[in-house]
Amino acid sequence: MRHSWWRWLLVLLVVLAIFVPSQIWLKQRVTHYKSNYKTPLNPTIMVPGSSASQNRFDALITQLRKETKTTHSVLKVRVAEDGQITYTGAIKRGDNQPFIVIAFENNRDGYQNINKQAKWLNLAFKDLVKTYHFNHFSMLGHSNGGLILSTFLEKYLAETPRVRPERLMTIATPYNMESDSTTKQTAILRELIKGRSHLPKKLTVYSVAGTENYSSDGTVPANSVNQGKYVFQNQVAHYTQITVTGDNTTHSDLPQNKQIVLLIRQYLLKEVLPSKERLPVNQSRSSDINDTDLP
Amino acid sequence: MVGRLRGLWRLNQRMNQWRAMRAVREALRVAYPFILVMAFVDVVGQGFLAKSGFFFHIYHVGQWLPGIALWRQGLQAASVVVNGLVAVMIAFTTGHYLARTYHTEPLAVGMMSALAFLTLNVNYEALSQGGHGNSAHFLFANLGPQGIFLAIIVGLGVGWLASHLMKGLAKWGLRHRQTPISWTGRIAWSLVVVLTLTVVIGYALSWFIGGGINNLVYLALQTLNTNVGHEGLRILAVTALSNCLWWLGLIGPIDVAGNSSVTSLQNLAYAAQHGSGWGAPHPITLHTLGDAYANFGGAGMTLALVIAIWIGSRQPSYRRIANQTALPNLLNLNEATLLGLPLLFNPVLLIPFVVAPAVNMALAWAAISWKLVPPIVYPVPRTTPGPLVAYLGTGGDWRALVLSLVCLSVSVIIYLPFVRLLNDEGGADHAA
Repeated sequence: MRHSWWRWLLVLLVVLAIFVPSQIWLKQRVTHYKSNYKTPLNPTIMVPGSSASQNRFDALITQLRKETKTTHSVLKVRVAEDGQITYTGAIKRGDNQPFIVIAFENNRDGYQNINKQAKWLNLAFKDLVKTYHFNHFSMLGHSNGGLILSTFLEKYLAETPRVRPERLMTIATPYNMESDSTTKQTAILRELIKGRSHLPKKLTVYSVAGTENYSSDGTVPANSVNQGKYVFQNQVAHYTQITVTGDNTTHSDLPQNKQIVLLIRQYLLKEVLPSKERLPVNQSRSSDINDTDLP
Repeated sequence: MVGRLRGLWRLNQRMNQWRAMRAVREALRVAYPFILVMAFVDVVGQGFLAKSGFFFHIYHVGQWLPGIALWRQGLQAASVVVNGLVAVMIAFTTGHYLARTYHTEPLAVGMMSALAFLTLNVNYEALSQGGHGNSAHFLFANLGPQGIFLAIIVGLGVGWLASHLMKGLAKWGLRHRQTPISWTGRIAWSLVVVLTLTVVIGYALSWFIGGGINNLVYLALQTLNTNVGHEGLRILAVTALSNCLWWLGLIGPIDVAGNSSVTSLQNLAYAAQHGSGWGAPHPITLHTLGDAYANFGGAGMTLALVIAIWIGSRQPSYRRIANQTALPNLLNLNEATLLGLPLLFNPVLLIPFVVAPAVNMALAWAAISWKLVPPIVYPVPRTTPGPLVAYLGTGGDWRALVLSLVCLSVSVIIYLPFVRLLNDEGGADHAA
């Protein structure tokens, strides 16, 4: 028994050599799981432009359902001026890629109104997160809806820190309102540029413009859409501008334009399209599998 | 209690008299050194080099070891050959030893039973496709540890049959002097009979189920396993049944509980959102009870068995095997212990082997239901040392660590009287 204390020391050393590094590893893993965890529910929030109701995207959604052959369920949300929220439709059980259309009772144009609408969007968004417990989502904004979403991302998203936006697609969003100027900035653009550092760093943004002629889609000047680069470029992970021409490219036709429906499927919903439909630019990214990388 | 242990002891002694039992023990004794080497290869391969290895993670082996892919492949090659064919070895040694007791041709009978075992695990589906496909000729999964039970049965059956056939042929040869039957003839004819029999059985079975005989048992158990649900009693029953099968040499049917089952993922999702496992949606599952608290050293809490042998055994062979297999047991690789002692077919050790995990699971069940400890929610590598699984799986909850240590102590206490009982087992075959 002379050597017995040696043995105990050895045992103690072995235990420490296992316990201490595993403790460090444990801390890393737990933060890894916390920061990388994604809920299966991955909604797409759609915001229509001015003067449009929560039914604005019906044509687009019908088109998407037909083409993707999946029943994306639709939840329509309407926020009244006093912040009262009414829901129609529902997110079906088992549908992890639902669409949530958020519209406002006050859907008028203008700097003041857009700021108010962003605030109302935040109200609805917080309510949705509380109800459905998703922690990542994508966004689609048509026309001023893109401005509302951008303002929301800069000003209000920080209030729900656990939820991460992944992709934003704006269709014909006039970042410089009706102005055709490339030098003069309207109030909303100035504000968006001022707050751009608050944009989520990992966001991927697509800005789609339609043009009937060389300068406009009939309502929104192409130059105004282009001003979006001063907001997003170098602030978010990727910023891509796409211009669509041809049939059905007037401002209000854009959401159901065939090319844009394809863009939505490919970039926003991250569908794997059959090669004949795929648009030339293609970046396939890792899927959102809950991988524990331990069997 | 003492009287009952005496009865158990007598049963043990009587079973040791049986020719078949002696053959099994002898066969396992011969195979043990091979299995021991492979256990250490697995310790390094699965614990340190594999991406899912515990020590790979905590020591960040991938970052500083050059040429890790090369290491992995080298060890895998060794593991595939020996670990992958351990059942064939056992079929050989069982048949060999049995033939020796019948005083016939041990080597020939051993080879015969190895071949017979292989014919039962031929991939008949691949053969019917013309044999040129990519699929393997053998059902390789059944040639590894999970085939040990079948190997023992085949070894015993063929050993008995071939020995008697040979003796019969020799007698027949003596009686009919005009048509002498040579040594070659005796073995060749026995081989023909044995192979015909096993090929017919194997082929007939392949009609009913793909995957050979073994698959039948495994499929039955796995359906039972996947339907365990959250009910504690059913989990207890399934684990006890599974451990009984381990004792028979049917190794591993419920090995797959794992981190990736739906309930485990849902628990992980909950923990990722809420920061801990308290209130997780599935607190009582096979994973949160069995993997966390009743699997130290592998099925049957063999880590506790090793400790109990260190404390209470006076059998030199037991102590030696406990020392040799302690490290693999720490990484939950306990095949060497099971086959080395042997625990397989040992009636005395069957009781604690089944009872200890059941008691631990009941303890964990009570502790989780009374909210004394949270259930494990974070994935833990399979080679994590048993007492740390719960601690790491709960994200570092010290109460889970305490419960683990309590479970370990309780298991040692359960094993101890049975280990002491085996101290009286004597004699020549344990002096080795």
